[in-house]
Amino acid sequence: MTVKVEVKAGGMPHNNIMALGLIGSLVCVYLTYLNQLGNTQVFSFFGALAVVFAIVWGSNAIKVLCSYGIGTGVPSAGMMSLGSGVIAMLLATRYGIAAPIVAVIVAGIIGAILGYIANNVLSMHIPVMIRSITELAIVGALTLMGFAALATGSFTLTPLMSGAAGFSSSFIGASIIAVAFMLGGIAIQHPFNATLGPNWEQDRMLMLAAECVFLSAVMMAIISFAFVGMMAAIISLIVTVVGWVYTYMQFIALSKRDAAAWLDAKPIVEPEVA
Amino acid sequence: MTAIGAKPAAGAQMEPVPMAIGLILTLIIIAAAFVLTGSSMAVALVGIIVGGLLIGFGVHFVPVGGAPAAMGQAPGIATGVAMLAAGAGLAGLFGGAWAAELGFAVAIAGGAIGGGLMMAITCMMVTLIYVYGMGIPCASGKVAKDPISGDTQTEFKSQGTEGHGLPFSSYVGGVIGGILGGAGGTLIYLELLHIYEDKLPVILNAGIPAEVKTVAVSLAGIFAIGMFLVNAVLAAYNITGTTEGPADPKFKRFPRDIVASALASAVCGIVAIMIVL
Amino acid sequence: MEHVVFGIGVTALAGTLAAVAGAAENTESDIGSQGDPNSQVQLAPQMGYIHRIFNKAIAGEPPAYGLWCALGAGLAMGFMLLQYNPVLAIILGSALTVLVQGVYATTAYLGRIASLSKFGQPVYVDILKSMTTVTMAHAFIAIFTTVAICYLMNAALGHPFPLPLLGLVWGIALGAAGSATGNPFYGKERQYQLQKFGAGVPIAASGNIVRYAEAGQRNSLDNGWFSAKLGGPASGICFGLIVFLELWRTVIFEGIGAGWGAIIVGILLILVFTIIDRYIEVWARKTYGPYAKPEEAKS
Repeated sequence: MTVKVEVKAGGMPHNNIMALGLIGSLVCVYLTYLNQLGNTQVFSFFGALAVVFAIVWGSNAIKVLCSYGIGTGVPSAGMMSLGSGVIAMLLATRYGIAAPIVAVIVAGIIGAILGYIANNVLSMHIPVMIRSITELAIVGALTLMGFAALATGSFTLTPLMSGAAGFSSSFIGASIIAVAFMLGGIAIQHPFNATLGPNWEQDRMLMLAAECVFLSAVMMAIISFAFVGMMAAIISLIVTVVGWVYTYMQFIALSKRDAAAWLDAKPIVEPEVA
Repeated sequence: MTAIGAKPAAGAQMEPVPMAIGLILTLIIIAAAFVLTGSSMAVALVGIIVGGLLIGFGVHFVPVGGAPAAMGQAPGIATGVAMLAAGAGLAGLFGGAWAAELGFAVAIAGGAIGGGLMMAITCMMVTLIYVYGMGIPCASGKVAKDPISGDTQTEFKSQGTEGHGLPFSSYVGGVIGGILGGAGGTLIYLELLHIYEDKLPVILNAGIPAEVKTVAVSLAGIFAIGMFLVNAVLAAYNITGTTEGPADPKFKRFPRDIVASALASAVCGIVAIMIVL
Repeated sequence: MEHVVFGIGVTALAGTLAAVAGAAENTESDIGSQGDPNSQVQLAPQMGYIHRIFNKAIAGEPPAYGLWCALGAGLAMGFMLLQYNPVLAIILGSALTVLVQGVYATTAYLGRIASLSKFGQPVYVDILKSMTTVTMAHAFIAIFTTVAICYLMNAALGHPFPLPLLGLVWGIALGAAGSATGNPFYGKERQYQLQKFGAGVPIAASGNIVRYAEAGQRNSLDNGWFSAKLGGPASGICFGLIVFLELWRTVIFEGIGAGWGAIIVGILLILVFTIIDRYIEVWARKTYGPYAKPEEAKS
């Protein structure tokens, strides 16, 4: 028994968003590899952009999935996405330059199996379940990889495990990955959770997705002062702050556009009794 | 959790074919682990699967009413089932991880008691708020008689609701859920910690194994949390978000989740083990 | 012996901080209208009840607090790696996290309300300005105290988890304890103040939340004022007991019987709480009496 919420016309089709998100995210993660090639760290900020692409895609995937009733809250989908993504991402970091591709493949396999479990074993029978959980696992893995690249300038295992003052001060050793986990887990579900309702608009949700990621990335950029050089961290901070201010302004403008009224210190407007 | 207002999708029926496929896949993964990585890793994987099963099974005990419970419209605790179970299970994991040096049995028991204690306090406070804060006695909506205390329920149910508060069997269910979740999370953590402490020094070329201890702890901890959340969310899907605990008819759906948790834990577990191979 | 005395002191301090954290967390979430009771705030405009209540649908409280506490701890960890003093690092981390919390609160309110325009629910900008700052203040207290507990556990009591992982674990536990204890009090007792006392809200009344105050129109600050009297402190006691007893049984009794002492004490504690719970339940059944005869309650 599934109830389909009416799909808004005029939005970008999900397949286009998925292609854009996957390719954009992978390209941006790979652009952080310029760090290794140029023996520098100033390209770390591309990690933030990778997460933007991934989460914009992921928030739309959550919208597609949660249009069917899944029986529990929207946030649970985000938790499962990151929970499976973190496992795939950490395995993938073993494979050097191939890591982002491996992350997509491993997350895809884990996600497909989890989707099969939810859809068939647990009898949820939602047509998009397997596909959505697969997409969300990939999004989760790419999100963590992007945050890792933003914080440390690298996405391979050894740099992620060794810090300036020994192993315990590294991205994984100091459990900064737990922060990335939760930042991603909230950012992926918030855009749809916060804009659901009869007047949901896709552009507003996707703008909110970008805003959430930039906000999270600002925090990750601040943490990155502990892992990368001063110059690289400042560049990351500037890029993310500028991105956040722009998307936040845009989101407020879009909310103003869609809101019934925009009142300041006004009493309750009682609806007219018919 | 915020309600989204659509009807839950999962039906109550069991489906033999997907369940058989799930079990077979689980066995294949265990066999693959045995062939590829040797018996010690396969044993560890089985431990991880058992941990996942405990978590998934435990979630079915936790009485959660979701949004209606916050208005006294339905019995149970007024929050999301996956996250309440996570709260208890991770509090258990905290206790278990702390006791990890005292040996396997003590750590597992410590994790179980940590989760159970968290749920016992929380459920007691829920009853306290309902009774002394809101003047509402506990009443189940699904069963006429509490299976543990034998109290009749219907005449304490206020009109127009499906029951409210935590009847005694729900309280016991909550504690059992916390115990199972805490034990399961700790089991996953210990199995992974053991592997990582062995293998990570080799990968990282660390001269002294103690140097990488924090990395092993952190890695095992984040994996345990990730797998906990995956199993808890799957179990929440199985009971479609709300349950009254062991007395609820939805509890009978747990065999489905046993298969689901086994397969999910096997997949996540083998990947988590492969990181250090 | 000195070690145990030190442990007892840290345990007491952590328990106290946890009580403050629980109280602040629940008051914050009620002022923001977060968690399950918010479903009614969301529903009200659809039923024709336009309101001036905040609508902070960030996530359930457990994941939201999992993020705030993990982020606060992570930022603090980052500052500590940069050789900042731990106290300063925790304060800076919590303060930065509160900015994130505040921004999430505003986007949640704007997003939810803009999506309700069909029902004529306007965005009240003054609500956004006055509520968000108050929730941020409460959130700072909750996050700072929780991160401080985590730091104590790691640095003073020697728990192996790094600070952000502890923040994640205890943040989720804080949200779970606070939402479980505090939600019904805000949801039933405040939002549905006009419904009969001592009974659940009939499903037919859903959405008819109280929108007018003693004088003027109710906003979420009035709700915070109300739930700070019982729901908040009760959540504080709940989370305080969890943290205190969990640490207490470990610090004092772990040395007995190679660790089994702590477990036996834990089992005894669970039994004690079970007896208290059963006593309260039976007391309520006797004192409040049945609402109806079993036959009549079928309707």
